Amino acid sequence: MTRAIPLEAVLVVAAALFCIGLFGALSRRNLIGVLMGIELMLNSVNINLVAFWRYLEPRFITGPTFVIFVITVAAAEAAVGLAMIITIYRSWNTINADSVDSLKG
Amino acid sequence: MFQITDIPRILPEILLLVLALLVLGSDIFERWSYTAASRLERVRASAQLSTIGLGLIFLITLVQSGYLYTLPVDAPSNFLTNILRNLQAGGPGQGVITGSFATDDLTMIARLTLIGAAFLTSMLCLDYHPASNPAEFYALIIFSTIGMCLLAGATELVMIFLAVEMTSIPLYILAGYFGDKRSSEAGIKYFLFGAMSSAVMLYGMSLAYGFAANALGGNSTANDLTQLSKIAELAGEGNSLLTLSMVMLIAGIGYKIAVVPFHGWSPDVYEGAPTPVTAFISTASKAAGFLVLFRLLTVAFPSLSGSAVFGEDLGGWTSIMAFLALLTLIVGNLAALPQQNAKRMLAYSSIAQAGFVLLGLVAWASPQQFDRDQGTIALVYYLVVYTLTNIGAFGGLAIVGMAVGGDDVRDLNGLAQRNLPLAVLLAVSVLSLAGIPPLAGFFAKFYVFMVGWQSGAWWLVIIALITTIISLYYYLRLLRAMFIEAPVSMEPVHAPVGMMTAVGVSVLGVLVIGIFPNLVLGIINRVQMVAGL
Repeated sequence: MTRAIPLEAVLVVAAALFCIGLFGALSRRNLIGVLMGIELMLNSVNINLVAFWRYLEPRFITGPTFVIFVITVAAAEAAVGLAMIITIYRSWNTINADSVDSLKG
Repeated sequence: MFQITDIPRILPEILLLVLALLVLGSDIFERWSYTAASRLERVRASAQLSTIGLGLIFLITLVQSGYLYTLPVDAPSNFLTNILRNLQAGGPGQGVITGSFATDDLTMIARLTLIGAAFLTSMLCLDYHPASNPAEFYALIIFSTIGMCLLAGATELVMIFLAVEMTSIPLYILAGYFGDKRSSEAGIKYFLFGAMSSAVMLYGMSLAYGFAANALGGNSTANDLTQLSKIAELAGEGNSLLTLSMVMLIAGIGYKIAVVPFHGWSPDVYEGAPTPVTAFISTASKAAGFLVLFRLLTVAFPSLSGSAVFGEDLGGWTSIMAFLALLTLIVGNLAALPQQNAKRMLAYSSIAQAGFVLLGLVAWASPQQFDRDQGTIALVYYLVVYTLTNIGAFGGLAIVGMAVGGDDVRDLNGLAQRNLPLAVLLAVSVLSLAGIPPLAGFFAKFYVFMVGWQSGAWWLVIIALITTIISLYYYLRLLRAMFIEAPVSMEPVHAPVGMMTAVGVSVLGVLVIGIFPNLVLGIINRVQMVAGL
């Protein structure tokens, strides 16, 4: 089987996506933006897993199984996260992470 | 392969799942209206159902574990012994179920601790009134407990990930349950930090998977920890991919157990969450996190354990653990000193306690198997004692917070004159956290110090001793507020029976374990036999 794209290239894309997601999660002030950053991080993991599976052990299904679990859990997490952002909006009237700061010290 | 005989081995988890669904369903059969009377009835019904259910499951697990009484092989066969025999057939020991879930003694002791913690927490909530739909509140506690039990026995990467999420997602909701300003802020902070940390952990897992797939050359597949350890041993110490994946896994789980520098969320969450939920998060979820960290490091990466001896070449995960323990002890104890909020002070205190637990992992710096086993025992013992003690402390604060309406240190002023039994119970918990003999906390601290010293990390033990002395200052501040300061009003503090019983049970446990440490140590001694080691 000839491969036009080497495994390293795919891994670099995943690592870049992970870093973009991490940067987004840390730097965005909007809570929904933070959530989007986290989703990017999770998707970079999926790319990693699928790439490792396809290039290194295509005869087994461990990689895709893992990916399906990650996608499912990410959906559950997003549902809980968005519900919590709605709660924040109801009690604080804002979804800016900087203004939600009653607990500190 | 999963066999039908494996079902009794996961009986506690199955029972917990059934109970959680029952609690959720029971709400439908209650009077469905929003008057105060019917709401109270619904709260009572779900709280009592989950407390009684968790108590029963605890007893069943205790019988199944065979720690109190093991049925002899030649016992006569009758109705009772048949039930007992079938139950204990699923007891500790035997292999790992489908390579992903171990039911060894470590899992069994963890189940008892975690289900016990959930039992005490739901007892604390007997008179604590959650918002609109009470059944959800109790069901979420039980769902989270299932996740923790699975986490304690997980030996495979997918299983660890799923169990971590199953533990955390209900806890995010519980922390933000009240929906007011403080609670919702605690919830969202917990959620964002938790989701980010699990993404980091997952990235580490994907690297470990890729590493194993590469090493096996596509001829077989491996993502359980035992096989990972064999591959890691072949690869040797200098493998950067494996080290990176290990560091990311440690970082991801480090968030769950709130060790410095991954502790940023915990004081805010502990302060803002409802106090019984804080008791649960700070004990059970931390204990489960430590157990999975222990299993991950000792089963998958024993070849990378390295050394934590001063002056020697540092490397491997014991030096990471020693470094984390150092930071955790210093930051946790120093940051607790100026706190005015009692919940926040105890939050920093539980960060500091995590530093002591890490000493049990540092014991793996020693090459001798005996020292490593002692480290395991010290770690589990500390976790059991810490769980009991912290539930007592936060439970006491929950009672005061409900009666007085605040949880600052000055709200505790003169508690001894307003409710002497409560003040005494709270004082015993706090003294045990500080490590005063003859309470359980003293022996637990002594044991981890001894283990740390033997493994060669004496510099860490000295620092731990110094920070223990520093910590006395803020623990004694709580005592001074309760016993010496003048009360704001002489009105007695009302302590509901359910909450008082929960605090009483945990303090009784602390006293009994403190005076007769061998009772629990005899059982914990068995954890040396961890599956896959």
